[in-house]
Amino acid sequence: MDNLLPNLLSFPPHPPPPNPMSDHAYDSGIRDQIDYVKKLSDSKLLQQTSGGENVLDVINPALNTVPYTFILLANLSALNKNAKGIDMEKIWGKSITFLGTFDPRQMRYLGDQLSSIIDAVASIAMSKRQPWAAIAPIRDALLRLDPTGSMLTTTHLALVKLALDTRTYSPIVPVIEKFILYFPGTSNQPKPKYICDMNLNPTQFITPASGLTQKFKYQEVLEYFLYSGMVFIGLNKWELALQCLENAVTYPAKEGSVSKIMAEAYKKWVLVGLLHEGRLLSLPRSTSSNAAKQYHTLAKPYETLAQIFESGTASRLKAEADQGVTVWRNDCNTGLVLHVLAAYQQFQIRNLANIYSKISIPEIVSQTMSAETGSKLQSPQAGEALVQGMINRGELHATMSSSPGHPSIVTFAVGGPVLTEADMQRVLGAATERIHTLTKEIKQTDRMLTHDKDYIKFIQKQKKNAKQGGLVDQGISGADMNMDWGDAVEDEDIMSNLY
Amino acid sequence: MSQSQGAPASPTQSRNKKSLLVSDPPKFDLESYLANYKGRTRLERLILIGTCSSFLGVDALKLAVKEAKKGKDVKRYLEAQSHLETIGPQEREATRDRAWMDTTEKQNQAETQRLEAELKGYKNNLIKESIRMGNEDLGNHYQAIGDLPRAFDSFSRMRQDVSMSKHIIDISKHIIEVAIEQKNWVAVSSNVQKIKGVMGPPEEDPTLQPYLCATDGLALMDIGEYYNAALRFLETEAGMGTSSNTIVSPNDIAVYGGLCALATMERNELHTQVLENSNFRTYLELEPHIRRAITFFVNSRYSACLGILEAYRTDYWLDIHLQKHIDDLYHLVRSKSIVQYFIPFSCVTLDSLNAAFMPAGKTIDKELAMMIQRKDLEARIDTQNRLLTSVPSTPRSALQANTLETAKEYEREARRRIQQMNIVAADLEIKGGKRALAGIDDMFDDGRQLRSMKPQDQARNPHHIGGFQ
Repeated sequence: MDNLLPNLLSFPPHPPPPNPMSDHAYDSGIRDQIDYVKKLSDSKLLQQTSGGENVLDVINPALNTVPYTFILLANLSALNKNAKGIDMEKIWGKSITFLGTFDPRQMRYLGDQLSSIIDAVASIAMSKRQPWAAIAPIRDALLRLDPTGSMLTTTHLALVKLALDTRTYSPIVPVIEKFILYFPGTSNQPKPKYICDMNLNPTQFITPASGLTQKFKYQEVLEYFLYSGMVFIGLNKWELALQCLENAVTYPAKEGSVSKIMAEAYKKWVLVGLLHEGRLLSLPRSTSSNAAKQYHTLAKPYETLAQIFESGTASRLKAEADQGVTVWRNDCNTGLVLHVLAAYQQFQIRNLANIYSKISIPEIVSQTMSAETGSKLQSPQAGEALVQGMINRGELHATMSSSPGHPSIVTFAVGGPVLTEADMQRVLGAATERIHTLTKEIKQTDRMLTHDKDYIKFIQKQKKNAKQGGLVDQGISGADMNMDWGDAVEDEDIMSNLY
Repeated sequence: MSQSQGAPASPTQSRNKKSLLVSDPPKFDLESYLANYKGRTRLERLILIGTCSSFLGVDALKLAVKEAKKGKDVKRYLEAQSHLETIGPQEREATRDRAWMDTTEKQNQAETQRLEAELKGYKNNLIKESIRMGNEDLGNHYQAIGDLPRAFDSFSRMRQDVSMSKHIIDISKHIIEVAIEQKNWVAVSSNVQKIKGVMGPPEEDPTLQPYLCATDGLALMDIGEYYNAALRFLETEAGMGTSSNTIVSPNDIAVYGGLCALATMERNELHTQVLENSNFRTYLELEPHIRRAITFFVNSRYSACLGILEAYRTDYWLDIHLQKHIDDLYHLVRSKSIVQYFIPFSCVTLDSLNAAFMPAGKTIDKELAMMIQRKDLEARIDTQNRLLTSVPSTPRSALQANTLETAKEYEREARRRIQQMNIVAADLEIKGGKRALAGIDDMFDDGRQLRSMKPQDQARNPHHIGGFQ
């Protein structure tokens, strides 16, 4: 092994050269090294150093990711064959450290290998009867590879499924809270010159060809949205859940087709909407009209429940919920419906804040009803506890004061929480920042669309036509995107120039 | 009578229906009230008063029976007589006059046959003018005996044979009259439009404009468009006189117009459009208390205004057209008064509101809560210190919140559009109409079973951990 080491560690040069390597040099360097390491047999890679150390202890995965990857893989396959001298716990520990520390730039060249390591980690965790233990390392690996998290990969889907199976929700939040903008499988795109270019968009280096993801079917994309929505439901994060479910609900569909997954997502979306805003939300504008029609027939019981929640009484809501018990159960939504029932009285109390500035607990108890029991609360104490809980959770902007011998009094803050000037500046600044980032994504999408092979062919044809005496298309607007891109891109009626 | 038409549209109306019996004495005198009207509306009004007022009931029904016997409508006679029989059996008119009924019915039948035969004859001779007049006679007859649907049909048939615009006006007037009795307000407004289409300069028939305003106003009032109804009544030119007295009297115009305006108009509007309106003034002079109520409202003396209205509530309950709407109208006036009362203050005690708007011993709390909920009133109630406080307006933070909301909305929408474009670009959108819903995704159903499975089961079912195998 000792004679191999200098070669294994030859790339990237250490210490780093004073002038960073050009992308060209980096690209050829790493390709040479991968070719070299690939040729080595597993047995050579498994050799120990002369000092009797495991090579995995010698090589730094953050610096020399390439050799480390192959040696780790060799170890893993040896583990699979039950070769002796391989300690599972040790390999497990090494794999986890590796997933949390590898160099993402080098890893772009090692897609297949990374996928194998991730699979191996998942199966080791499974064999240890601790499947959830794999979640955090895989999550770290995904975020290291693509810190924007805007690209969906098959690993994402597998991760969410694993989280749902093991009911381990919070660790994957950093992955699923990222808004998915890009999907693998975009064909007709020009290949980037060097995938080590750090300014590349994730769509350009995470491709099915790179091995970092596989191709998707639309069902799988929908599953990802639905499942990540379900994870947020499990965490009671209604706003994020709504967002995920909305991705599924508004999924583009041609020729009036609707997937069952979309309908399932819609059902949950209606209930979560009640929990978040207390009303039946109107469908996002981009929902396809045919899907909307299908939703209304398929999710009738849910919409009825929502309407009663909005304008009916507690007892009617309870009756409706009892009536639909089998529906909720068949759709696996019983838990959500129970949440909705529990939320009813809280929304009533919040509505009182729009009418009263100060009110006593017994008055609250007499004016609101619990939908869980269909009647008023038993005692002022129960009401006090409920209001106290809502204030503590920040759901009600109010203060409660009590004096001995008198009922407690709730004072609602008029107009909700008021941000200080500095806070407001910060929030506004953050919003501006986000929109700037978004503008970049818009440019990126526009670039992708304008570089689509079909589109370029079309433009060429147009140019030819223009030469024969016609209008010149001025459609390529990638350079100077303005903010109302929606109109600029979509209303650019390319068909009108066809003749 | 009018209550039987259609289901009550609001809870207030259904309550009204239950307490339809009014026991307070109204302010008007029955004889002089009746003198304002002519034709079948007299009988209808009498029966309404008779059935709804316990104070005037017997007198009104006695008059109604007499009135009915002057005419040919046996059904109406029976209606009046049977009501009278229940509330005043000792009266002479309470006994059923079978002889009169029989002869009248026979006469009616004979008359119907005669007119129909005549019409047939005209039709055979193909004389347009005679057919038109034949239909008109038949319509009048049906109307008189109370067969309104047939009257409506007969009058409608006149339209085939019109030869001049005056005929169209005549037909429409007939139909309007029947339709009002039937409470068919759609027909009323459409016929008003028809007349408007053909009517000449106002000098030709000065009574036509008031007639149209009155009927159109009634139709609008009935569907609850009080503001437009008010505008229509206020447009009524002076000089209606008795020309429309088969439907309404000039006094009614003043009351309807005044109340609708009071319920829907702002103080400035009331001042310019009602009090300074020279046409409408002639009507308002007939009902000085309406004028006083409006003046009080304009001068911010709300309790005085409400007091006057309250004093006349009984009268309006006994009005054939107002009965259904008076509670709504009063409610609107009240809400407006409370809002106006509160405007100059940032904080008012509930007791002072009680004193201004409620009879002794009652509280205004519930009503205020309702008004705030409906966003009629921008205020909050403090039940502990018994105060009504206004909501401080904070334009700066409202604008900031609005900005953030817009930014968020833009962000969400933009991201979703990018997402959708990229889905399509990756060729992942759902295609093919045939497979809609039929193509239930197997993988998905697997996933759903997972939800109900316990983690330890899944360990035995490694198949389910999709991508990692």
